[in-house]
Amino acid sequence: MKSRTISLVEAFLDVRRWRARSVASGGCTQLPIGLYFLETGSCEGCAMELEALCGGAYALEQNGFRRVLQPEDADWLLVTGAVSRRCAERLDQVWRAMPAGRSLIAIGRCAVDGGPFAGGYATLGGLAGLTRVQRSVPGCPPEPAAILAALVAFREGKAA
Amino acid sequence: MIPLSYMGRLVRGGERLSYGHYAVDAPTWQALWHTSEVALPMLSFWADERRAYGLFLEGDQPLLVSTAIDDKRYVGPSQRYPVAEWGERVAFDLYGVEAMEVPGDGRSALDGGAWDITWPLSQRPGPGGNHGGAPKVSKAPLWIDGNGVTGVFGLVPDMQQGGIRAEQCEAGLGHRGVTAQLLGRTPEEAMGLVARMSAGGYVAYPLALARALMQAEGRRIEPALRDSWMVLLEIERVSLHLHDVMLTARAMDAGVLAAHCTHAREALARVCVENGATRRLTDMIRKDGYRRGVEIVPLAQAVLREMKPRLSKLALLVDVYAPRLAGLAVLPVELARGLAIGGPVGRSSGRSLDLRRAENGMRLDALRATGASAGDARARQAVRMTEVFDALRLIERILGSFGLGEADEAYPAIPNVTDQEGVGAAESARGDVWAWVRLRDGRVDAIHMRDPAVPLLAGLGRIMKDVEVAMMPLALRSLGVSTAGVAQ
Ligand code: SF4
Repeated sequence: MKSRTISLVEAFLDVRRWRARSVASGGCTQLPIGLYFLETGSCEGCAMELEALCGGAYALEQNGFRRVLQPEDADWLLVTGAVSRRCAERLDQVWRAMPAGRSLIAIGRCAVDGGPFAGGYATLGGLAGLTRVQRSVPGCPPEPAAILAALVAFREGKAA
Repeated sequence: MIPLSYMGRLVRGGERLSYGHYAVDAPTWQALWHTSEVALPMLSFWADERRAYGLFLEGDQPLLVSTAIDDKRYVGPSQRYPVAEWGERVAFDLYGVEAMEVPGDGRSALDGGAWDITWPLSQRPGPGGNHGGAPKVSKAPLWIDGNGVTGVFGLVPDMQQGGIRAEQCEAGLGHRGVTAQLLGRTPEEAMGLVARMSAGGYVAYPLALARALMQAEGRRIEPALRDSWMVLLEIERVSLHLHDVMLTARAMDAGVLAAHCTHAREALARVCVENGATRRLTDMIRKDGYRRGVEIVPLAQAVLREMKPRLSKLALLVDVYAPRLAGLAVLPVELARGLAIGGPVGRSSGRSLDLRRAENGMRLDALRATGASAGDARARQAVRMTEVFDALRLIERILGSFGLGEADEAYPAIPNVTDQEGVGAAESARGDVWAWVRLRDGRVDAIHMRDPAVPLLAGLGRIMKDVEVAMMPLALRSLGVSTAGVAQ
């Protein structure tokens, strides 16, 4: 039976080994793009996939992205969920707090058009009903790998 | 047979509407909240324009009581059961029915003055905004992003006294009108929407409803289907526990543990896809079966092969980082019992309830008593890890006798009862999910889905009492708080 110390060392080495390689051709040398996540009312499945994307199993940082915790530090706003009426104002506040050159990205079906929660008294649907959304990642929920691939494509100037 | 409690006798004195559902008159309803006898735990309270409902747990069985609402008013149970307050506030926002004799301040749960109609589900909705019946809204500044809750939750820290101002927190910001959308749908359509109620229960939510529909429609459950559902629920438990352990780890800068959890969870997702299921088990549960094309036994075997070798390192890492969580955000057992807080949060405080133990066909030897009672973040993390082990063991046991045993027999029709009604439950990773449904002419006439976070939020003020602001995200992560199923 392995000692606790050996197992622990192995666990640390695993993480180094796993450090995912960049999915972008030739890696990324630009300044990292700051991503701010905003949830606006949903099953939280898309928000959980964004958490998974940041968890080390995907090469988010190696591809030139970093999660930021303040809208003031963000370049791109990643929205998950249908826009509940009570979250609409907050969405606007976060958007306005971001510096110029910002970009809006709808993650998942709800954020695009409200998904299963479109219509009714409680939501305004998705971002598509509120503004022109040029960048979106479809899925219910989209896989972290698909989100990352889309982010890389957006950075390289390809719209989804 | 457990002896009937005083409350149980009071309830059963009413008219029987379905299995375990009794209608009582207003004086009896009121007496339930004033009795000095030991009270049954209340699981959930809800109301529509016509009736108010209280769901209790009697032993390990549900007991539902309801009463007619007269002139949009009823005596509210929150005077005795604080857990009922959320349901009272929701009922007012949706239907304009008002709870009387209750301690709360009548603050809006969902509307918050943002809707363009008031009481949207009532027969006569009012205009939105600032008219006489408009909801009372708190103006406290809310801490939403980065507070430790994945969904939309407005936290109000108490800067003077420490802890939080629970009575000002907002859990309804992400409300999306799911009940309104469910009414009038066929059971199959309702299953599809309920399957997106909360990512904390992609299996558990529709499974609870499928079980309620089984009862309502008088269908039996064959052992192979029952086992298949159990396997899917356990796979979901492993996935969700890994997610919650990962978020807790990340909030305490335990990057190595977080990375191991993420890798394990993504490996689990991959195995699910390779075996015909969806990554996070979305859309797997049908009202009388599961997704076509999935073979449960090979899926279960592949899950065991992938996950078992990872367990020892995960357990070791949870143990190594455990001291950082000691004493944080303690849930006392009497609070867990009083509010019926379940799941790993309740079990780590010493409230041992686990609905799986009462299920027909359960392989009980796979479920260990956690033995935890500290009720703090450390105990919660350890219990989740123990439950990952147990979930895999349970899958193994099920595979050993898959599809054997007795079927769950159909509930026979009750004489003179025309509505089809049923209650179902599933022990999700985050606690017990309950579904109640009434069908009329083959469509959903009334429905209620109870999320395990409702009682947890009712106790949040006490749990977070001594937690410093800087530690709140970690505390909330360790509690696995999610508002998706609360705000619905
Ligand atoms: S798109 Fe699907 S998974 Fe994402 S939040 Fe909406 S319902 Fe949930």
